[in-house]
Amino acid sequence: MDLQSNLQPESGKLEQIVSQFLLKSLHIILDSRVPSLRPHDRSGDLSLGSQVRKSDKWFNLVLGDRPAALDNLNFWHRNVMDPMIIDVILVHQGSNSPSMAVGGSVETVIERWVVQYEYPRVVAAQPSESSAYYKKTYKKSIILLRALYSQMRLLPAYRIFRQLSTSSRTYNFDIIYKVSSFSDPFSRAEEGMMEEHSFPAVEAYPGRLCISVTYRTTLSDFNLEPSTSMPPKIITDYVGSPNTDPLRSLPSSGKGVSATSFTLRGVQAPAPVPSQRPHSWTSGFHRAAFSAQNQPFVGSPPAYYPSPMPYDYPSPPAYYPSSMPYDYPSPPTDIHGNRVQHYRAPTHQKAISHDDYQLSPPFSPSPSPSSPSYISNAYPMQTRVRSETAPVSIPLPMTSRSFRHLSPNSSDPNRSSLPPLSPRSRRTDPSSQESPSGITYFRKIESLRSGEMQPVTANHYTGQKVTRDSKDDSGRFSGLLSSSGSPRIGFSRSSSRLSFQDEFDDIDFSYPFDVDDVDTSDFHASVNIWVYSQNLDGKKASEFTSQSLPIGRKSQDAAVGELVRMLRTAPPLRQDPSCYSSHSMKTELEGGVATASGFFMPRKAVDALEELRSFRDMKDLLLSKSGRVISKEEA
Amino acid sequence: MNCEVCQLKELEVEHFEIREVLRCILHTIVFHRALGLVRPKDVDLELFDVTYVQCGDVELEKKIDEKIEHFISWVEKHPNKKSQICLSFYEVKNKQPSWFTNKIERLYWEQWYINLNVAQHLKAHSSKSHNSKVVVDPGEEERIARRAAVEASLREVLFQIIKFVNEKKDHVPPIPNGDGVVYFPHEVTIPSSSDSAFGMDMIKRMLQTGHPTMLS
Repeated sequence: MDLQSNLQPESGKLEQIVSQFLLKSLHIILDSRVPSLRPHDRSGDLSLGSQVRKSDKWFNLVLGDRPAALDNLNFWHRNVMDPMIIDVILVHQGSNSPSMAVGGSVETVIERWVVQYEYPRVVAAQPSESSAYYKKTYKKSIILLRALYSQMRLLPAYRIFRQLSTSSRTYNFDIIYKVSSFSDPFSRAEEGMMEEHSFPAVEAYPGRLCISVTYRTTLSDFNLEPSTSMPPKIITDYVGSPNTDPLRSLPSSGKGVSATSFTLRGVQAPAPVPSQRPHSWTSGFHRAAFSAQNQPFVGSPPAYYPSPMPYDYPSPPAYYPSSMPYDYPSPPTDIHGNRVQHYRAPTHQKAISHDDYQLSPPFSPSPSPSSPSYISNAYPMQTRVRSETAPVSIPLPMTSRSFRHLSPNSSDPNRSSLPPLSPRSRRTDPSSQESPSGITYFRKIESLRSGEMQPVTANHYTGQKVTRDSKDDSGRFSGLLSSSGSPRIGFSRSSSRLSFQDEFDDIDFSYPFDVDDVDTSDFHASVNIWVYSQNLDGKKASEFTSQSLPIGRKSQDAAVGELVRMLRTAPPLRQDPSCYSSHSMKTELEGGVATASGFFMPRKAVDALEELRSFRDMKDLLLSKSGRVISKEEA
Repeated sequence: MNCEVCQLKELEVEHFEIREVLRCILHTIVFHRALGLVRPKDVDLELFDVTYVQCGDVELEKKIDEKIEHFISWVEKHPNKKSQICLSFYEVKNKQPSWFTNKIERLYWEQWYINLNVAQHLKAHSSKSHNSKVVVDPGEEERIARRAAVEASLREVLFQIIKFVNEKKDHVPPIPNGDGVVYFPHEVTIPSSSDSAFGMDMIKRMLQTGHPTMLS
């Protein structure tokens, strides 16, 4: 409405100017500070030719659609004489205390605008030409509002407003506003951080229109960053949790589990993960949000990548592609990520966290916090470890592998929430893993009795159906037997079996039944004894075998012992004097390994023994078959 | 009516920054003086983290861009010189023709002097080429620091404009009626090639503006 054509009396004019001034200034402020109110990006809407609402023409500043909030202003701001205080509030995480409670969002007033019509105590004489006077007032208020508009873009808060409004990403902060006619004064500390700026007032008889702002000079105190959306990455600590393998002692299982939550978040919280909240998805999320702000993310893997257990357990970052033998498929992460998309949606995580905390394991066993740099080393480390597997004693790699294999299994309840990890990735390197892992795997099966392990095993050991079946049965022992026995006996139903044997060759075969470090040590003793017993005396061997039982865990020992007995008592597969292996085998079986070199030799002899047996079996089979064929042909 | 003059703080800019800086300043000034109906348009500077407001009038944009191009060509001819752009607002008054002026008299009521010091930092370029392999380029650091300084100065200038615009309002003539973007007539003058001519220009302007005592 053009004031110049306004025929209302002066008082009406004044009130109109003042009220419209308030509305317009509120419109400007909200438009420039609160992204949620902006209907669209106005930059493209330039032409004045489009219909401009009359109400928008006030002060010759077309701002577009008025937010609904402004319409409410009329209701509460009855008295134009009251100041209109607009607080621009930043909602953010408490950046100072990462260990804050979950969901702690802090509201800080970053700007306080005061728009008011100041009514003086002493009223000056009325100007002679009131209409001309108000025209001038109107003109000046136009300028003032233009200045306000420009100023809004120069203050520090504008930057974060732009971040929120233009970017499509989600951020870990938000801007809200509050309009009132009174406000709590700032605390001293707050005031110290703020500056005040007042616009020159516009004379509007009898009072004057004033706009002033108290604003924070810097917003760098707040860690305002885009909230990292669930990345298809991380979940480095995917493999086995402490709970998946109760036999395995982890330094701090709680920490490990909680690390996963951070993983999903894409960020990692620092060490302050309470051990009593192993699963803390929600807290992790929030904390992760904090840490995201506080800590620069080191690479994509979470900074919390666990230094592997004491036995150097290199669990690969989940996001690594299948180039890594142990890589964990991203889908679970993704899915999990999708669920926990936003840190403000803790429900999912809570549900998960309240599950058996063993479930978070699919993502990590990360027992011990480690420096972020560790993650970046994880991959190369793994390769290194892998390459070293052969010469190095078995327990290390086997252990790790076992855990890796187990991870999907262990996360049974989690499976419901997450897609099962496809162990196919592990298949990429069967030769190096399968044999020992097979054994270790079954060991784990025994401990876990997870039904879901079936598919995993199936993937890994295609031919080992026997194993699976046996695993299903209560007879752990039988399962173990069949799994471990098959390669030994050479019932190679699949090429993988052969590869097992190759694997056994490569690996120091002293601990064929080894599963993990803990057990390894036990088995170490037991196996050593067993081997040694072979050296000494065939008869004594059986005794020693039995003696080996009590050393390790009984189940393992019993299985081993049984196997040993089986091997020893098994009749030679082929009575072929030409076959040296049988002879040697017999000798070895009965009299122990012919060894003069000492400790290491017996192992190798045993190894060779087994291999020979398997080969002989194969040979036997082939010969029998060929014999039939020949006989057929002959016939 | 007195003519308010505002001398803006001097800015040290590089050649490639001239366009953006001038656009920013000129548009900001005009925005505060284009008191007709305006739909503001936010424009982000590319080189600096500054957002200024335009009137959203295409014609105005063209006109200002033209002037900026003139200025740039002038600067190229006169490198390493302090230059000034003057944005003047005037009122058109029909006065009786006299031997001083022609028929239409322009009454300048406000003048803005934008002071620029266009520097050519060749040193930075050379250092960059030499140290191409160096990860941290000393020239780069210098450039970054300089860029930040220019940005801060630009902000100061914008604040200065807003402040001046608000403080002195009495001299602004009444808003002419009209539809669309209405703004006071204004002109942008660039110093001419020679100093003497420039001085002549100043005198001319003084005469056009008219001494306060000359006005009735």
